[in-house]
Amino acid sequence: MNNHHIISATDLNKDFDSLQVVKGVNLDVNKGEFVAIVGKSGSGKTTLLSLLSGLERPSSGRVILDGRDITDSSENELALFRRDTVGFVFQSFHLIPTLSAWENVALPLFPVKISAEKRRERALELLRQMEMEHRAEHRPSTLSGGEKQRVAIARALINNPKIVFADEPTGNLDSATTDAILEILKCLHADNGLSLVMVTHDLDLAESSDRIIRMQDGEVLS
Amino acid sequence: MYYRYVIKELRHRSNRTLVNVFGIAVGIALFVSISAVSTAYKTAASRPFKNIGADLIVQRAEKQQDQPDKRIKSMRGIRLPFSNQLFEAQDLLALQRIEGIDATTHALLLWEFAENGFRTIMGVDAGQSSLGAGKVRDWVKQGRFPEKPDEIALEKHFAKFQKIKPGDTFQISGHTFTIVGIIEIKEGAQVAAANIYMPLGIARMLLARKPDAMNLIYLRLNDPSMLNQVKSQLAAQIKGASISSSDSFLELMGGVSMISEKFSLIASMVALLGAVSLIMKTMIANLVERSHEIGILKAVGWTHQEIQKQLTAEAFVQTLAGGLLGILVGYFISFLLGFLSITIPIPWELNPVPAMAKQAQAASQIVRLPVSVSLPLAATAMGLSVIIGCVIGYVTGRRTSKMKPVDILRQL
Ligand SMILES: Nc1ncnc2c1ncn2[C@@H]1O[C@H](COP(=O)(O)OP(=O)(O)OP(=O)(O)O)[C@@H](O)[C@H]1O
Ligand SMILES: [Mg+2]
Repeated sequence: MNNHHIISATDLNKDFDSLQVVKGVNLDVNKGEFVAIVGKSGSGKTTLLSLLSGLERPSSGRVILDGRDITDSSENELALFRRDTVGFVFQSFHLIPTLSAWENVALPLFPVKISAEKRRERALELLRQMEMEHRAEHRPSTLSGGEKQRVAIARALINNPKIVFADEPTGNLDSATTDAILEILKCLHADNGLSLVMVTHDLDLAESSDRIIRMQDGEVLS
Repeated sequence: MYYRYVIKELRHRSNRTLVNVFGIAVGIALFVSISAVSTAYKTAASRPFKNIGADLIVQRAEKQQDQPDKRIKSMRGIRLPFSNQLFEAQDLLALQRIEGIDATTHALLLWEFAENGFRTIMGVDAGQSSLGAGKVRDWVKQGRFPEKPDEIALEKHFAKFQKIKPGDTFQISGHTFTIVGIIEIKEGAQVAAANIYMPLGIARMLLARKPDAMNLIYLRLNDPSMLNQVKSQLAAQIKGASISSSDSFLELMGGVSMISEKFSLIASMVALLGAVSLIMKTMIANLVERSHEIGILKAVGWTHQEIQKQLTAEAFVQTLAGGLLGILVGYFISFLLGFLSITIPIPWELNPVPAMAKQAQAASQIVRLPVSVSLPLAATAMGLSVIIGCVIGYVTGRRTSKMKPVDILRQL
């Protein structure tokens, strides 16, 4: 492994019972790199993302994320590691319906010992960056899809992650909103040097990345 | 803490929260009111004894194998009640050997079958007024307590029934007495009730037997918790003694009063458990509904313990609210039950009136049920709610450990 890799995965396999979903994947992602993973539905993109991000453990193989071998970590260790290092953006936003926008943004920091004031300040600051400050007190059910995704991106950033994983972040959005969200992600990558791994099946979207990784039947093609 | 999250979660899912809070409240209210009522029955049952300051009453009944026709032969005139035969000198000596007795007093209860009816006569120890039948001295309503050999006092209802008043004379077994006072028996003190009261010495003279005759012994204990111990010693030392305490009333009252302390605890626990399992069910059903949310928490880096803490806090707040509400409702139910009147039947051996005497005087007494929610009871209820909250939080929290953060990736 190399210390300018944020991710270094070797010989990754993931089986669900007899079904091999990820097969012998070797993949390195450089620090500050924007990688797009594309492939047909069912090709194993989401599964690979979950292995790389420490949401799930591989059946075999190793994942080194930000210099740390997470392959054999416990659930709790992975959770704490995700809290410190990783941000997530999902296709269906996954906001907590009972919490307001800013509280959703602050959610990863709820168990962290910082003052309530600071937590709120930071959440509002991120919402401001996402041009969502005016909706800070609104609950997700009152927000549009694009607005929800802006809140979700703000949440992914609240812990100052080294890398953000996005699984079809624009899959539920219309084209205009898709462009806006992609713009935000690109800015984060360009301005803050954030590493970004994005799953998409929109090739146009993938074009804006530094590198495209194609998947087919659980294998990385190129 | 994530109190903000707890509050929002409970507020924005208000239907579910209300169901849980009311569920706990019903359980706690049942617990509180069942406990309060069972305590009230006990209090009511202990009243007859409390009113005469005694913990125990010792009597000796006539032997069961006595021929019934022999009884009837000796019916006329003054006689000893079936359940109150005389004690012997050795019985009194035996009493002194028993530990835990604080004070002792005695009385002589007589029956007279006169031409114009039946009456009960109580010879009261002049020296003792804080224990036993001597208490009636405090309950003189009119006139005074008899002192001279030819003076008696009458019980209020008896005097009214006989249409006699202080100053009149009254015949007992051929002797003429002057009525000097009217006595009103305190509610629930029927064990000390008689138609006619007189100093002990005069009653002994009427019986025309030993000058130290007595057939009722009242005992006060040093420590009420020694009741059973003293009881069994008495039974061993004084042959043929029948020993009564407030338990004797409880046994007769039946119904709710049969609920002993243990049983009422079990009954209310069952009520509470019902409520708990109900809440457990809604909370777990709700957890399935919330598995998505739990997945999000895990994905953004909450540990299992932190999620458990959140769920426990939610359960805790709900059970705490339910507990408080339950205590209030229980208090209200108890308040309403306090308007009930209950009948305390008098055990046969303590009833001063013979069973066949068709006297207006009932063999039972009616008292208001003294229901109240004590502070310890409220505290217990509160403690229970808190424990329930923790248990529910723990159980639901454990369930989340199987939920995987990755699953939310596949949920829309
Ligand atoms: N927990 C699981 N148990 C069994 N099979 C699974 C599980 N998760 C994923 N799979 C299977 O693995 C294969 C790959 O799934 P995955 O979600 O990674 O595909 P994908 O490339 O993300 O597809 P899409 O573009 O539709 O999101 C699919 O056939 C899926 O049914
Ligand atoms: Mg997918």
